[in-house]
Amino acid sequence: MNVHKLWEYREYVKVNGIMLTNELISLLQTSLTMLQVENHFTHMQYWGQIYGVDRDYHIAVGINRDAINERKYFYTTDFKFWGLLPKAKKKYKFLSLIANTPFRGDISEKIKVLDEALDQGDPERCKNMKEEKRLAATISNICEEAEVCARGQLVKQPDGVVVVSPNFYGLTGPEAKLLKSYLHIRPAQHKWNTNILTRADYNLSMDFLDSIDMDIPNGCWNLTLENVGTVAYLKSLYWPGMMYFHKVRTPDAGFLYVGNGRKNLDVPFLI
Amino acid sequence: MSKTFLLEPEIIAATENVMPDLNSDLIKAKNFLKQQSAATGDSLYDHLVDMVQKILTHKPPDVVDNFEQFSWEVKEEKLRPNFDLLNDVYLTPPQLELMRTMDDMFKLVASKSQKMEEVGEEEQELDLEEESTKPRISDVIDHNYYFRQCGYGLPESECYALYIALNMLTIKEPVATVRFFGKIFGTNADYYVAETDLTIEELDRRIREFDMKDMPGEGEGEGQPEEPDNEPEERKEILGEGEEREPKTKELVPPKLPPLPVSTWTPEPPIPVERPGQGVNKKVYWVCTSLGSPWVCLPDITPQHVRVARLTVRVMTGDLDAEIQSFPPFEGTERHYLRAQIARIAAATSISPQGFFTFGSGEEEEDIDMEEAGDMNFNLNPFYQGHTIKDLVDPSLGYWVHHGRHILPQGRTIWWNPRADMMDEGEEEEEENLPLVEPETGPALFSAVAGDATVAGAPAWSAHVSTTLTSSRALALLRSKLWPGAVAYANDGKRSECMYVGWGLKTQMPNFSPLQLPRPQTEYIIGPEVMEMADPTFADEEAYRIAHLPPPPPQEMPGEGEGFPEEEEEEED
Repeated sequence: MNVHKLWEYREYVKVNGIMLTNELISLLQTSLTMLQVENHFTHMQYWGQIYGVDRDYHIAVGINRDAINERKYFYTTDFKFWGLLPKAKKKYKFLSLIANTPFRGDISEKIKVLDEALDQGDPERCKNMKEEKRLAATISNICEEAEVCARGQLVKQPDGVVVVSPNFYGLTGPEAKLLKSYLHIRPAQHKWNTNILTRADYNLSMDFLDSIDMDIPNGCWNLTLENVGTVAYLKSLYWPGMMYFHKVRTPDAGFLYVGNGRKNLDVPFLI
Repeated sequence: MSKTFLLEPEIIAATENVMPDLNSDLIKAKNFLKQQSAATGDSLYDHLVDMVQKILTHKPPDVVDNFEQFSWEVKEEKLRPNFDLLNDVYLTPPQLELMRTMDDMFKLVASKSQKMEEVGEEEQELDLEEESTKPRISDVIDHNYYFRQCGYGLPESECYALYIALNMLTIKEPVATVRFFGKIFGTNADYYVAETDLTIEELDRRIREFDMKDMPGEGEGEGQPEEPDNEPEERKEILGEGEEREPKTKELVPPKLPPLPVSTWTPEPPIPVERPGQGVNKKVYWVCTSLGSPWVCLPDITPQHVRVARLTVRVMTGDLDAEIQSFPPFEGTERHYLRAQIARIAAATSISPQGFFTFGSGEEEEDIDMEEAGDMNFNLNPFYQGHTIKDLVDPSLGYWVHHGRHILPQGRTIWWNPRADMMDEGEEEEEENLPLVEPETGPALFSAVAGDATVAGAPAWSAHVSTTLTSSRALALLRSKLWPGAVAYANDGKRSECMYVGWGLKTQMPNFSPLQLPRPQTEYIIGPEVMEMADPTFADEEAYRIAHLPPPPPQEMPGEGEGFPEEEEEEED
């Protein structure tokens, strides 16, 4: 969620009863504005919160020019120091999915992860992971699978740079009811023409991302229109604690994740 | 094309002018732009005019970067159908239906409150009686304010409508107290859940109804053990048919079969349901999916519902009559499942600071009687003074206690002894044979939260202070990890409340695994008849034959020699 609009957006937050408190918003706005200036970000977004046993992590995203490839993630536990999250490695991305222990709130803490799929004597079976790496990997997992934007919110310019569209006026009512109108914020994983072939009103500058209606299983996304049909909410069953809201016919939209950073692997049983 | 070219006066002028001229060039270019496309009948000239006009009136920033998109939108607008042609059809806003139900609700509550005012003015002296019958509604707006201070709660827009909806519940239904329990998300609609105590008359009525139902219920209980008796009879019949057929097909004497197996499984004796107003059915829950629509009463649940709900995971759909597909099978629809989940959540996450509630109403003598009855009542403690915030957020969590009754593995809050009936009938015979059933026990009411089972090595609740900057406004917040979405707050005064907003899913470490099917029972007693063994090979048979050869017959009896080959043949068969 855009840091400078948090006061407006707080009414739309709807994750497991979470409400942003006045103090949190004030702290975020002061510290993140300074972070934005230091790093010359064009957009600064509050990404969410990851619960820890001792302290909670707050995550922010800074966008410089390219809204997909140049996203920088920052974390903090005290709102004074924002640390840059390292790039997630594939190995840790996998390990963070099978790690059972909760986050502690201390980035230097090391945990041991047991991969039960491997044999007893395999040296790879038990691996060490630093919490900082785990945090980075978890966030990168969530971003890949659950971070979404409305169609048209991000546009690809002719030079290949993806920018946050300044002329996004929002989805219309009927459009907002379709899962097809929401796209994953990640480098596209399907073939480039998948989206273009499946919709009649395709637009090369918008439909370069994967739409979420292709996700498996059907029903893992929960789309509802609330406040008498003026706000569309997206929730992922895979990542309980994630939400995306979009006010119909306005450029207002935001993503938030508040949770313990665990992927819910029980989804096939739930639906 | 040539026709339009000729008709326009400028063009006629242009043809007259032979010399190269800026004007004629302009007109030629303009003509080119005015060419209509064969497909849409639109011309670039018109499109550019529309574009420029729109850009100048709307003044969007940085059009040049998004020119393509902008041009697309202009074209799209042109293709939009014009609804004015349809004889002034008025399209009602989609909100209408919801607003109608809301309007009905507001009218109902307004008329009621007006009546109350009139009555109140007339009979102010009789106010005491009036108050005793007036339902108590917990102040959602007030509690929500505090929850929001802690970073939880409902949006303002929902909160007010919810409070009015709770008022409506008290007007329409026979309830004595109302409390907002929370909100449970569903895939299609969300449930608002209200927790109520019924009025004494309604409760009595329900208990009577329950007792009436219970009588035939006992009959069913007796009927069940009879069923296993019927089954073997049927089997015998089948067996009988089989025996008849065998002699016809085979001429050999039927081999002696071991007796057919009889299932030793007997259904567990049904655990009696707790009567309305007791145990898991102590409170009555009402749900609605949109504020303003009538509240629906959730049915009372049986212990079996709780037990099955514990073994399954499922998200609500938002339809109370949706089917529940689970193993073991769940008897009932989503309304039973929802009720069971609410019972589990209420039992696990109802917490309050120590001393907030007390047994009875403060009169000591009463307490003892209630405890003997096994189902203890508790009330707000009038002498509660509050704890300091520092104590409340202490990581040991010693200052918080549960006020939700623990549900035993049996699915009841009060343990029911399955042997109780037998003990009465024949104590002497049974005691030796049957193993004694150990009563299931759980943490007592008002036991400390600190004693809760841990979630993945961390305590089940995490405590937070709402603010670090202004300690005078601080509140203590407890967040459950076992039921994500369950929270409770308390201030250093006399306020505390808990709420649940979430999917109704319990954290299961590491993940949910469905109940395994029980191992099949052994059908036959293992013996030589049913054991599998390798067929004898030719060599084995040959060795057997040679070993069992009768001693060479004496030469004196030639008549018996013919018999040998026949016997050999038979053996080989």
